Amino acid sequence: MLRPFLVLLAFLIMPVALADKPVGYEFYTFDKAMLQAKTQGKPLFVYFGRYGCGYCDKTNKEAFSDEQVRKIYNSHYVLAYVDSESGKRLRLPSGERIAEREVGTRYNAFVTPVFTFMTETGEVFHRMVGVQRIEDLLSAHKIVQQKLANTVKP
Amino acid sequence: MSLNTVLSGIVMLAITPLVHAQPWEFKEPVQVSVTSGPGIFHHLESSGRRNIAVSGDVVAVVWEDNRNGTPQIYLARKPLSASEFESETRISAQGEAFEPSLVSLGNGDFAVAWEEDARIFVRLIGAERVGKALMVGRAEAYQASLVRHHQQLLLVYAAAGGKYPRIWLQQLAIVQGLLRKLPECPVDKESARDEQLYPVALSLGDRLIVAWEDRRPGHTIIMAAHSNTKSLCNFSTPQRISEGPEKSRAPYGKGHGVARVALAGYGNSQGMAVWADKRDFREGYDVYAARYLTDGKSLFGKNAKVQDSFGGVAQQWHTAIAGNDAGSLVVAWDDNRDGDADIVLSWIEGGDWSDDLTVEAASGVGIQSHPSVFLDNDTNLHLVWSEREKVGGPTRLRYLFGKAIRP
Repeated sequence: MLRPFLVLLAFLIMPVALADKPVGYEFYTFDKAMLQAKTQGKPLFVYFGRYGCGYCDKTNKEAFSDEQVRKIYNSHYVLAYVDSESGKRLRLPSGERIAEREVGTRYNAFVTPVFTFMTETGEVFHRMVGVQRIEDLLSAHKIVQQKLANTVKP
Repeated sequence: MSLNTVLSGIVMLAITPLVHAQPWEFKEPVQVSVTSGPGIFHHLESSGRRNIAVSGDVVAVVWEDNRNGTPQIYLARKPLSASEFESETRISAQGEAFEPSLVSLGNGDFAVAWEEDARIFVRLIGAERVGKALMVGRAEAYQASLVRHHQQLLLVYAAAGGKYPRIWLQQLAIVQGLLRKLPECPVDKESARDEQLYPVALSLGDRLIVAWEDRRPGHTIIMAAHSNTKSLCNFSTPQRISEGPEKSRAPYGKGHGVARVALAGYGNSQGMAVWADKRDFREGYDVYAARYLTDGKSLFGKNAKVQDSFGGVAQQWHTAIAGNDAGSLVVAWDDNRDGDADIVLSWIEGGDWSDDLTVEAASGVGIQSHPSVFLDNDTNLHLVWSEREKVGGPTRLRYLFGKAIRP
């Protein structure tokens, strides 16, 4: 009786163990997120991960699992997840066809995870590299909102 | 004599041997495709990065671009003696086409494989005519890579096969100028335990070697298997060829990342694999290589870093490799050690990897990336790359001929 339960449990936790995007968040592909950001008038939050990335897994478990982080990031940003080794093809609003790995190259995601806040056109205005704690993500949100407030023209 | 003069002299003495050690004298770069401009993006992408080849006295380049609104495959040829490429030929049909792989068949003939609407197609390209496109392999197929093996044409590709994509070998014969399908088989006899991606094949004498990305340990590794001409589908048990870091440098988690293996043969049946490798995870991807072994135990030997120490803090991407029967071997990649991406080369010199050479005509202002290389029998270097003025801007394709300098 216990064995089927353990198999099911292993299946359920596998995506987390393989450092996919965190659960409970509405992540889009990078190209779709750019379109969404334009439509919704929100900045992009882009998570550059990699298959098997241990530090991504750690950040998912220790920071993105926090309810406050989840509420803030889901409501204030359009979320994009990029697998920096994937050949998955995207089409940017400019018409350029680009693979996810090439998006990682373009935004210098040479380590993972890398987290970037971008404008809808892909201009980076805040970047965080490596493992993040709950307080890091909350602090980054404040910094980004302050930057956005400062750029609003009277 | 001032201190500056002395220092300048020391610097010149240090640099001079490197300059003289360059094995090629580079000519002026040439534009490959006349079609470029706003909204047009060229892609030099193929599994194994085989987008340029020389056949007889003709050099050819294949790529994908979106000039008519959908991604299509094009080929341009240039007689070696000509100063410009001839008008390009569209190779793909009406679907969305990607990642063409080019191989030389000799006497000015080539073959191209590409993906179109999730199927693989192969076409012969002669001096006088373009053959009919032949759909080969399985459904939901992608990442084609071609190699010539004696009188056969061999295609490796990834295709859906169970839960995960798996690497397949499709054998092809050329009979009176026409392609004919021969048997196909999976390279790994066992069903894939996770994704198998981006294969490339190498013909070495009677051996066929296939390498690919494999995600079975929960992160990406490079694996390889080989077979021989008597039974091409009877592959050895796959072996991991990308090593892990030393334990003290192991990353947290399942393991480090690697990407996009390429293979080349050189000299008397020697082979080399290169790939991007993040085992020094704080420095990003580096270029690593391993020699094909014939000792009957391991398929490939100990891994070695290809780039020199000046590349340590920079990132290396898009690794390509080429070799020839004369025993020369060159690796190309793009590298941001001087700011924006430039094309960098390293080659086998005295049994070891040379100091890196940033190619002057493929560096400087703008972004020079995605190289593909070919070494002809005279060890002349043929290099093609993508160039753009700014991130996200339109691209153009450039070709450079490096004439071998005789020692």
